[in-house]
Amino acid sequence: MKILVPVKRVVDYNIRIRVKSDESGVDLSNVRMSMNPFDEIALEEAVRLKEAGMAEEVIVVSAGVAACQDTLRTAMALGADRALLIEIGFDPQPLAVAKLLAAVCRREQPGLVLCGKQAIDDDANQTGQMLAALLNWPQATFASRVVVIGEEGQRTAQVTREIDGGQETVEFALPGVITADLRLNEPRYASLPNIMKARKKPLDTLSPEALGVDIASRLHILKVTEPPRRATGVRVANLTELAERIRAATRGL
Amino acid sequence: MLLSAEYQQVADMTRRFANDIIRPEAERLDREELFATDIYAAMAENGLFGITVPEALGGAGMDCLAYSIVMEELGRGYASIADQCGLVELLTTLLCAYGTDPQKSEWIGPLILAEKRGAYCITEAGAGSDVSGIRTTAIRTSDGWQLNGAKLWIHNAPVADVAFVLARTDPAAGKRGMSIFIVNCASPGVTRGPKEHKLGQRASQVGEIGFNDVLLPESALLGKEGRGFHIMMSVLEKGRVGIGALSVGILQAALEASLDQARLRRQFGQAIAEFQAVQFMLADMAKDTEAARLLVRSAAEQLDAGMDAAMAASMAKCFASDAAVAQTSNAIQIFGGSGYIRGYEVERLYRDAKITQIYEGTNQIQRVIIARKLLQT
Repeated sequence: MKILVPVKRVVDYNIRIRVKSDESGVDLSNVRMSMNPFDEIALEEAVRLKEAGMAEEVIVVSAGVAACQDTLRTAMALGADRALLIEIGFDPQPLAVAKLLAAVCRREQPGLVLCGKQAIDDDANQTGQMLAALLNWPQATFASRVVVIGEEGQRTAQVTREIDGGQETVEFALPGVITADLRLNEPRYASLPNIMKARKKPLDTLSPEALGVDIASRLHILKVTEPPRRATGVRVANLTELAERIRAATRGL
Repeated sequence: MLLSAEYQQVADMTRRFANDIIRPEAERLDREELFATDIYAAMAENGLFGITVPEALGGAGMDCLAYSIVMEELGRGYASIADQCGLVELLTTLLCAYGTDPQKSEWIGPLILAEKRGAYCITEAGAGSDVSGIRTTAIRTSDGWQLNGAKLWIHNAPVADVAFVLARTDPAAGKRGMSIFIVNCASPGVTRGPKEHKLGQRASQVGEIGFNDVLLPESALLGKEGRGFHIMMSVLEKGRVGIGALSVGILQAALEASLDQARLRRQFGQAIAEFQAVQFMLADMAKDTEAARLLVRSAAEQLDAGMDAAMAASMAKCFASDAAVAQTSNAIQIFGGSGYIRGYEVERLYRDAKITQIYEGTNQIQRVIIARKLLQT
């Protein structure tokens, strides 16, 4: 079985985000970029499944600008076997990415797509779900535990999901789509020897045209603004006063 | 300086490792003067020892620039941890360059995997900057050598499994009469002094190691007889790039801590970062850090290009370590009283910085080397 892991190049989670002065988006000039942390968790799970003998190959795919190659090399240093870059001059929207991934799935025939539950830049939380719908595959979102059982060709996945009331475990026959939540695992570090080995792993570049996918944007961003600044706090003398203030502030809620 | 993607990956990975594994432990390691066994095991697991050792011999197969990047990020985590990486790098570099196949297979793997601990034994009571003054001797026996002498301030001496020892093999021949021996520390006659209690880099185990009629097989000789001084000198430049990079790591940590404090600390109704006096200290700190980093990476690139990097390496080490001492002092100034208290990172950074002006060749020696090179032509 092959596992496909989509990875997105996003602003590093340590970076303080700045909005462009014309309110057209986030300022990405001279900003450190890295792999979306949820995708890293998905990749780690895929590599662990391979190490456990449940998969033969882990393929990573990214759609975006040429610099996504760096993200793909990091993914290969973390254990992916090969990479596909769908080169586009801009950051595509979730539906376009889902369509591209569906086209890649038809080519590669993976038994499982493991992706992050959302990307930390736009927090859309849509791509995995849209991909499953486009392929008409079963899906399990927000996974905190993944168990794959059965013989090759008849594998099923048992996925524990984090839901409002606690945890829910679902089971479905593969192929399917699983999106990773924060607590699924703790990703490993890319060791130095593996960074070296990743240089020699294959990275193929594709175009949306070659995949026959229309990637035109369907959403228009009207404006992007900074969140309002937090007002200065108030000092209280003791707990009693704090309780009174909270009571007063929440009265009528 | 823009790093290519691969070097950036190395930097990102090591920084993350340092944030997760090293930084949370640094205060405790310093306070309790602990040998960081678990951290070294985790470093070995992630290929953070033997950066320039070829892949075939178990290393990462990278170059000196990558080594300097690793040393900087580890040094930003905690200088003692970086220093251990530097020590393994030097010993394995010596083995790669001069070791016989049996010596390589016996020691490189275990050193890189942190299964064995090594010590590099040069300095003696009467021989610091002037290495030609060493008095340790190795005398030929019928089937090997007999080693006698004592080495001081030796990193890892209290815990070492193997010692690389510079000794006189021909007292009449001066610098050309020295050789290096690989000594198994379990050999009869190897003695250790107590661990020294130091100002900074307190998790580095430093002490005296003695050799009393230690009998060595012929196979203990590293490289050619009489070439010990030359062999030792051949790795000094890499060592200086390493200590320069470690100093840049200290500078970076001091800068980050100072920025946080300047934004957080309020006096006279505003963050102290609003005061120009503090801003100027931050600006100087940042430009020293960047200048030191560029000197270190330039020296590393010269070494990688096979050039004579003696002047570049001395400049990098000297500038970076002087800057580290000066700017960690400024970091404490920005923190005010709290920066003088044990448990605050900048207090430790100030103490950790001082030795970087002393070890791997004092900064006086570095200036002598730079001046000599300048006046040579």
